[in-house]
Amino acid sequence: MSAEMANEIKLISGRSHPDLSDKIAKRLGIEVARTISLNYSNQETSFTVGESVRDEDVFVMQSTATGDVNEGLMELLIIISACRTASARRITAVIPNFPYARQDKKDKSRAPISARLVANMLQTAGANHIVTVDLHASQVRSHLRGRDGFFNIPVDNLYAEPSFLRYIRENFDPEDCVIVSPDAGGAKRATSIADHLNTAFALIHKERPRPNVVGRMVLVGSVADKVAILVDDMADTCGTLVKAAAVLKENGAKSVLALVTHGILSGKAIETLNGSVLSALVVTNTVPLGDKVERCPKIRVIDISPTIAEAIRRTHNGESVSYLFTHAPV
Amino acid sequence: MRGTLIFAGSSCPALTGKICENLGMAPADAELSQFSNGETSVRILTSVREKDVFVVQSGSPKINDTIMELLIMISACKGGSANKITAVLPYFPYSRQSKKKSHRGAITARMLANLLGVAGVKHVITVDLHASQMQGFFKCPVDNLHAEPLIARWIRHNVPNWKEAVVVSKNAGGTKRVTSLADALKLNFGMVTTDKKRGTNMTASMIMNHLDGIDSHPYLDSISNQVRNNSSGPENGTAVAENGQVRPSRTVTDAQGSPRRANGPPARPSNPPRSHARAQAALSQSSTLSELDEEAELDGPEYNDQRAHEVTHGRLVQGHIVPDDFPSPATSAADASVAEEDPMTMSHASSFFAQPHALGGSGDAASSDEEDEILKNPKIEHMITLVGDVKNRTVLIVDDMIDKPGSWIAAAETVVKRGFARKVYCIATHAVFGADCLEQMQACDCIDAIVVTNSYPIQEDKARNASKLVVLDLSFLLAEAIRRNHYGESMSPLFLHMGD
Repeated sequence: MSAEMANEIKLISGRSHPDLSDKIAKRLGIEVARTISLNYSNQETSFTVGESVRDEDVFVMQSTATGDVNEGLMELLIIISACRTASARRITAVIPNFPYARQDKKDKSRAPISARLVANMLQTAGANHIVTVDLHASQVRSHLRGRDGFFNIPVDNLYAEPSFLRYIRENFDPEDCVIVSPDAGGAKRATSIADHLNTAFALIHKERPRPNVVGRMVLVGSVADKVAILVDDMADTCGTLVKAAAVLKENGAKSVLALVTHGILSGKAIETLNGSVLSALVVTNTVPLGDKVERCPKIRVIDISPTIAEAIRRTHNGESVSYLFTHAPV
Repeated sequence: MRGTLIFAGSSCPALTGKICENLGMAPADAELSQFSNGETSVRILTSVREKDVFVVQSGSPKINDTIMELLIMISACKGGSANKITAVLPYFPYSRQSKKKSHRGAITARMLANLLGVAGVKHVITVDLHASQMQGFFKCPVDNLHAEPLIARWIRHNVPNWKEAVVVSKNAGGTKRVTSLADALKLNFGMVTTDKKRGTNMTASMIMNHLDGIDSHPYLDSISNQVRNNSSGPENGTAVAENGQVRPSRTVTDAQGSPRRANGPPARPSNPPRSHARAQAALSQSSTLSELDEEAELDGPEYNDQRAHEVTHGRLVQGHIVPDDFPSPATSAADASVAEEDPMTMSHASSFFAQPHALGGSGDAASSDEEDEILKNPKIEHMITLVGDVKNRTVLIVDDMIDKPGSWIAAAETVVKRGFARKVYCIATHAVFGADCLEQMQACDCIDAIVVTNSYPIQEDKARNASKLVVLDLSFLLAEAIRRNHYGESMSPLFLHMGD
């Protein structure tokens, strides 16, 4: 075996989202590595890699399923640690939905900056590189490669935006659309999409007294007789989205749909969606959706695996990843 | 204590409450909850600036949530400018994964130690680490407290006639722990060990029968038929025995431990109609014992260490002691060779790709968990060996934790059914009690008491139904460790055995 042969992509999948791992592996034309992951009777996680990873380029794919965030995170850390101990050349954690991304600042006295803790934990376990999709926090993003940032290792933050642009172009007339940000923080994301499509832009200002609690909403801009497209990075309990949709309808929108990267959809999200004026919720498959698609006919899913697979291929070959910031592989 | 805050993790509010009571203070205020997506939320509700902070967290059935909560609490205290943060972990999670058990397995305990360091821990207090070498995983100081003085004290006060008791280890790896307790109490010590017997048609007793010059083949079919008719449970040993098929186990010496110089067949002149004599001895099969086989006879005269001679063997099928002529599971199970590829057993088999026994040799008890897995495999028969004399004595089976019941029940049955122990106490520091472990141990007739500490929270409804369960309180030990830590006093007195 030649020296180049020895360093190949090994894709290891955690238990949270095997479906996405399979899709990525298929795109890359490889098999997901054989592994054994189980829980002991006391619920401690045990993990073993079933094949050699010595000197290989290891990519560990783990999303975080709703409700099982800590379970998934610990499994990811144990997998990384096992690969490190097994002499992998480089370990890249592929975490489409970065856990604890929202707890990224000390917004109250003694509030934990859990996102930074998770970043430190990943490095401590032995990750050399992180690939993620639409990281929530601008704080995390803006410090990505900085010395004082959360990570001291390279992080590739991929964007679902190119996939969303294609979805809008394929399904709507951009002339007929208004891109709406449901909060001031997401204005940048929304304007970026509006610029690419050459459409109008609107913003909803909201007061949020506590997390997961939505206050009063005010629309800035016009959506009358247009298709209003709400854009956000995550849909959790969907309270914000549904209220925003109602505000848009009140202001004369023809129809309202939402484009969201991470469909976490916890709690009563499905019931909330089913009873809302939203005509559709478009999410990517960064988070395992389980049976939610069946329970909510409004959910459409965009497959993000081509983007992640291409990022893995480019990372492995040492090519630039920036192409993916503007283009979605077909 | 001035300048000290003690936070309770969600796993052990009760233990923390007791610790604080011992120290005359109240647990510090924190709000622990989960966001709707399952992420852990921690709010520290009191100022920690320049305080000496202790965070108490044990294990729980949701162990990974517990760990994340601990790490986030520590991180929050660090972010809140605490002076020093000490993690008090009565049960250290993942402590059994402290070495690479297979190729490419993770050393999770080491990783966890590193994660604690990253979160901001400056000191760790724990109790009876599974492997004391784990202290080397930490960059910060570790106080590994021992529950042994507490347990020894309980034994002296509560075990009747404890001076005649024997301390028994249920596996070879745990002997160090056991000898330490035996030394402290000045008691004799014994050991139970299990060997794998995989897929062989020849059981030891059959081989022995050949050595005894008795051809047992004609019986074989009838035995297995008999057993099948009796739905082949191990409890049917007596039914089988009535058919006159029970053979005594091989005991090298007599009960007094002095080698008997006997010459095979002539040694048992009283039972030429073997079947009847054995049938009478059905319940106390090996009470006739003391049959010297050839090998023992050879080294018997020269070898004078009496204790080493007290070796009793038994057969273990599906985790229970069975009579010597119980049909070998390898012969009764259709074909064992196919089963090896069975995907259901793969996950078990593969976690042993590296035989811990073959490679390990490091002598810590890390393999007890796998041992339990194997014990349950109906296709594998085991030879269980008891070393030491326990006849008519109280037996204290000791290990560091009770997670699965298999090896405990097997050891208890061995000392009672083969060694004729009078009473059996199962003693461990950490009461992990996975699945229905406590119920199974409670139901086992051979176990008289289960003695544990409150290092690991025991579900209340489970504890209420377990009349054999005795829970010792560790809070004084932990409180004292916290107090001494805070004031910079020596920890050594906590390791000493109390006089009374």
